[in-house]
Amino acid sequence: MSTQTDAAGVHSAAIPGSAAGDGLAGWSPFAQRPGDPFDTLYAQLLPEIGRIIAQYEEKRSGLIPLAHLFQEHEGYVSPNAVAAIAYHVGETLAAVESTISFYTLLFRKPVGKYVIQICRNLSCMLNGADEIMAYARQGLGIAHLETTADGLISYEEVECLAACDRAPCAQVNLEFVYDLTRESVDAMLAAIRAGTYEIKPLVQTAKPGRTWKVEPDTGRKSAGALNQSNPNNAGGIGDTSGVQMFDLIVGKVQYESRSNERLVRETQLRPEISGNGHH
Amino acid sequence: MSTTLITPVLTKGIGELNLREIAVYREQGGYEQLRRAVVELSPKDVADICNGSNLRGRGGAGFPTGRKWSFLPKDAKTRYMVCNCDEAEPGTFKDHMLLEETPHQIIEGILIGAYAIGCDHAYIYIRGEFKRGYEIMRDAVQQARDAGFLGENIFGSGKKLEFTIHRGAGAYICGEETGLLNSLEGKRGEPRLKPPFPAIKGLYGEPTVVNNVETLAYLPYIMRNGPEWFAKVGPERSPGYKVVSISGHVVKPGNYEVPLGTTIRQLIYDCAGGLRPGRTFMGVQPGGGSSACLFEEHLDVSYDFDSVTKAGSMLGSGAMVVFDDTTDFVKAAYTLIRFFSHESCGQCTPCREGGHWIQKTLERILAGGGVDSDVDVIKSAAHQLTGLNLCALGDSIEPFLASVITRYEDQFRAYIKRTPAPAVGAAS
Repeated sequence: MSTQTDAAGVHSAAIPGSAAGDGLAGWSPFAQRPGDPFDTLYAQLLPEIGRIIAQYEEKRSGLIPLAHLFQEHEGYVSPNAVAAIAYHVGETLAAVESTISFYTLLFRKPVGKYVIQICRNLSCMLNGADEIMAYARQGLGIAHLETTADGLISYEEVECLAACDRAPCAQVNLEFVYDLTRESVDAMLAAIRAGTYEIKPLVQTAKPGRTWKVEPDTGRKSAGALNQSNPNNAGGIGDTSGVQMFDLIVGKVQYESRSNERLVRETQLRPEISGNGHH
Repeated sequence: MSTTLITPVLTKGIGELNLREIAVYREQGGYEQLRRAVVELSPKDVADICNGSNLRGRGGAGFPTGRKWSFLPKDAKTRYMVCNCDEAEPGTFKDHMLLEETPHQIIEGILIGAYAIGCDHAYIYIRGEFKRGYEIMRDAVQQARDAGFLGENIFGSGKKLEFTIHRGAGAYICGEETGLLNSLEGKRGEPRLKPPFPAIKGLYGEPTVVNNVETLAYLPYIMRNGPEWFAKVGPERSPGYKVVSISGHVVKPGNYEVPLGTTIRQLIYDCAGGLRPGRTFMGVQPGGGSSACLFEEHLDVSYDFDSVTKAGSMLGSGAMVVFDDTTDFVKAAYTLIRFFSHESCGQCTPCREGGHWIQKTLERILAGGGVDSDVDVIKSAAHQLTGLNLCALGDSIEPFLASVITRYEDQFRAYIKRTPAPAVGAAS
């Protein structure tokens, strides 16, 4: 990692304002922005961040737990959070993005206050999950991987949740809901909309868009895999947030890693390398 | 209905006692075997007990646990014990129950295993979806720490045993042991090239043992009752008890702990209450989504690692999914292929492209656009992508698909001729 003096100097020179309009705020541990919600949150979480990392013999192991921590407080893993995680685990932004983008429960875009995930795997399918999912989609008026226009509910059809004895099953904000029927789906949606549902809403710090994950077949995983599940677009077709964020933060923090410098140069020369997988 | 087959060991007290409380667990004799191991026995004594029980891994591969431990280099200074609680194999829900209901026996098992291999820092990797289970485990670990069973100077022995709970974030592939280790190191959960195996080079590059939750949870009982108690149950080479998750078209789906060597028929009809009235048996997947389907002629196969393998499938994680005559096997196959395609990490071309390609073909068949050659093409593609991948995920694509396409080819042909089979989807 760069030294504090270097980074602070580069930072103040390169970033004239604070948050960019697209939400790519470009967080740095060395230049606090008084009153900024993320910086306030960061200061509040700092002791917990330390505790998490201290649990492991190598600090990179703290990456996923830190992503969970920020998501719990921001509703998703924001670009600021990615930068903060990178700083604390001593990795590049690219390494953090790469890891986070692998996991379906880490959201790189804002989601609804309720995330409903209905199991579509075998035991649930044998017990009528297809019909329940169709019914839920109809009741919500949205499709798989979409969020309602009011930003209240995100919906996803997921793989086996390990509750096959109570099929069809689902998770709402990662709490299990068992033995789904049309009636129980109706009751759940009504209670969520009325604000009386027994499961608590997630924190929401930014308004979600219509889709909150990459559509099937439009993004790619590493080595060109079809990205059907990943919550974020970094590396996926049509999403340039990785490039934009890189450009923003590259100006602030100098990395010692040579390979990273090369990537930075290439990113600046050929913006598409960071935004596209294959095709 | 006979219930004599059901032999609660790990599942004893579930539904009756609040085993999440350390005091309740200790009243049942909990942590006594950990104390005995640490205070009275050497690590080698504990490993010998495990070896003597012939305990085989309950996570999927069925590898002998004692032998897995014995691969650790004798001169290694640092060793790690990692407990795999990333249960995500379709149809499996045993670890989910054990985690939420009996966290202390898991902790005790992990710590006994850690002591046996000479490790002073154990990890448990809990599936991201098990948020509740993670919280329960966190509270249980705190109770154990407060009681002095883990941390510095356990049981006043001067020995140290640290324990870290790590929660995943949604990826089936992290159940593969090297994928799990990468994930635990803060990386993408992509399986590693083997060799070197984790026993030589695992977590942080150090010798590591990765054992399933259920495997480790049996250790306190094997120590308490003696290795012979476990070894004499069931077939000699595949002994002991097993928590079997039964779901699908049965009257009483659930987890049933039985001696290995119980027949598949007994499990389905005696334990899980059989099929719904008026339905006929069409097949059973005996070992999770990765296992080949078995049929009527296999109902009397002994449910143990070797017999199920001999019958052409595998015991896997011990998850049985039962199919009756309402099953649409084209949709069932599609559901599992879509799963493997979705969960492929993307490193190996045969798995990444092959799985997806078969998924698309099945999608087309289901949509009524199938052509006659599709059946052979699917079979051939599934076969050709097998054995060419870094881990077992790619090789899991073929077994179920091939078994049902061979047995119920007429259902596939019916879709292709655009005359869907009478049985479409589940009863609702």
